[in-house]
Amino acid sequence: MPKFFAGVDIGSTMTKVVIFSGRIEATIIGPTGPEHRKLANKVMEEALKKANILFEDLSYIIATGYGRINVPFADRQITEITCHAKGLHSLLPTVKTIVDIGGQDSKGIKIKDGKVVSFVMNDKCAAGTGRFIEIMADTLGVPLNDMGSLSLTSDRPASISSTCTVFAEHEITNQLAGGETLANLVAGIHMSVATRVSSMVKKLTIEPDVAVTGGGAKNIGLVKALEAKLGYPVLLPPEPLITGALGAAVLAKEIFEKYEREGQTPIRSPFGLQEAKIFS
Amino acid sequence: MPFYLGIDVGSGWTKAVLCEDMDLKSYAISPSGGDYRKAAQHVVDMALKKHGVSIDDIAYTVATGYGASMVDFASEKPSDMSCHAKGINMLFPGVRTVIDVGAQFTRAIRIDENGRIVNFIMNEKCAGGSGKFLQVTARILHVNIEELGRLSLESTKPVEFTTACAVFAESEAVSRISEGALPADIVAGIHKAMASKIITLANRVGLMPDYAITGGGAKDIGLVKAIEKELKASSYVAHEPQITAALGAALFRHRI
Repeated sequence: MPKFFAGVDIGSTMTKVVIFSGRIEATIIGPTGPEHRKLANKVMEEALKKANILFEDLSYIIATGYGRINVPFADRQITEITCHAKGLHSLLPTVKTIVDIGGQDSKGIKIKDGKVVSFVMNDKCAAGTGRFIEIMADTLGVPLNDMGSLSLTSDRPASISSTCTVFAEHEITNQLAGGETLANLVAGIHMSVATRVSSMVKKLTIEPDVAVTGGGAKNIGLVKALEAKLGYPVLLPPEPLITGALGAAVLAKEIFEKYEREGQTPIRSPFGLQEAKIFS
Repeated sequence: MPFYLGIDVGSGWTKAVLCEDMDLKSYAISPSGGDYRKAAQHVVDMALKKHGVSIDDIAYTVATGYGASMVDFASEKPSDMSCHAKGINMLFPGVRTVIDVGAQFTRAIRIDENGRIVNFIMNEKCAGGSGKFLQVTARILHVNIEELGRLSLESTKPVEFTTACAVFAESEAVSRISEGALPADIVAGIHKAMASKIITLANRVGLMPDYAITGGGAKDIGLVKAIEKELKASSYVAHEPQITAALGAALFRHRI
């Protein structure tokens, strides 16, 4: 029987679990919600069920993401930047620059051999993150999943002068009242996010291949806008949400095997599959 | 004595002030909504009606604020900064620094003893620290925005917010509520985060006492106390802090 490993990525918006044995055995993606400390054990249970194994079958577990501290049963916590780089490298080995658009942040990561060389990050301001698109979709009454395809029908992206999400929301309402089409507004929204993200990522020297990950990669309109602003075609992993969780699982396997090679046993978390009692 | 009309079309609220010579006679405040022209007409009608005068009795009308360009019956449209400065100088002649917390914009204005602007700074790029925070907080706590101040003063342990972004503060507040934080501590934490952002901005104009706090934000006693704590000084707050710029506009002709 192969050895099983798990990566748990508690993002601001979505929680992801990957069970890994050298290949992906199971993946689970669910909303984080406000009570994320109570969630990790539940999504893990689901993932175990899907992989048809028991919690005791897991040899090593790594938690990552913004809520990684709230996974009591994880054996180790590793930052999402490191996990992202690792996960993406295992899927798309030619990639040197990662642009990650998450629900509440965005990042640029330069990688070499799956390791982080440098990174830039915005988690201070909602502009340039998935949240910006989410809020605008809500304002326009367009389902989030339709934003991408709708923006591709635009003939002239609306120009949105405000950077701030709060001000842009006002601006969009006014433009809509002024007769601007939904498609042009949505395309303008993607352009706004792409402009902000690309000016941040350009602080690193962008080297191809470039990949886009995170929830933002699921939005074809945003991906096209990013290609235009970054000046490079971009690669997309098959499931852009699980890169961090996959990286955590791959690292779990590597760390465990390193211990084994050295004839040691890694220290495991004393906690079983329970919800976090403490939170940060 | 001649009547003067001042109109301030703000991003959130539209205000009109009617003065007879230099005396405030009536005022009206109403949401700006999507149609600034209509909002301006509405507050003017209300203010005139309250004092029982007609538009024909008005000697001079001055409009200011974000949507002033829509007020086509105004004779003059000075900047809202200068109207603000004049309004506050009229009310509190000793004030040298005005901190204005509006629905979307926060600004600090340094003025001289004649109510002229020495320097000002306005946050127009980011809603951090603006009245938007209060709207969001009231909404997620299901309380009226007017109750926030009183609630804040009940707090014993304000929640520490890690963000200055209005959008992220909302999700942070939702998380803290789900973890059991008390509404009073959430509100006090929001006030503290706003005050810190506001004073960081105001510091750039060079703070000089006396201080006045104006705009819709000044109606929130919790926010006023939080700003005073950051200033390490007390401040003047007018009986109706939202009409400062409209008052300055009404008096604009008088005090050049």
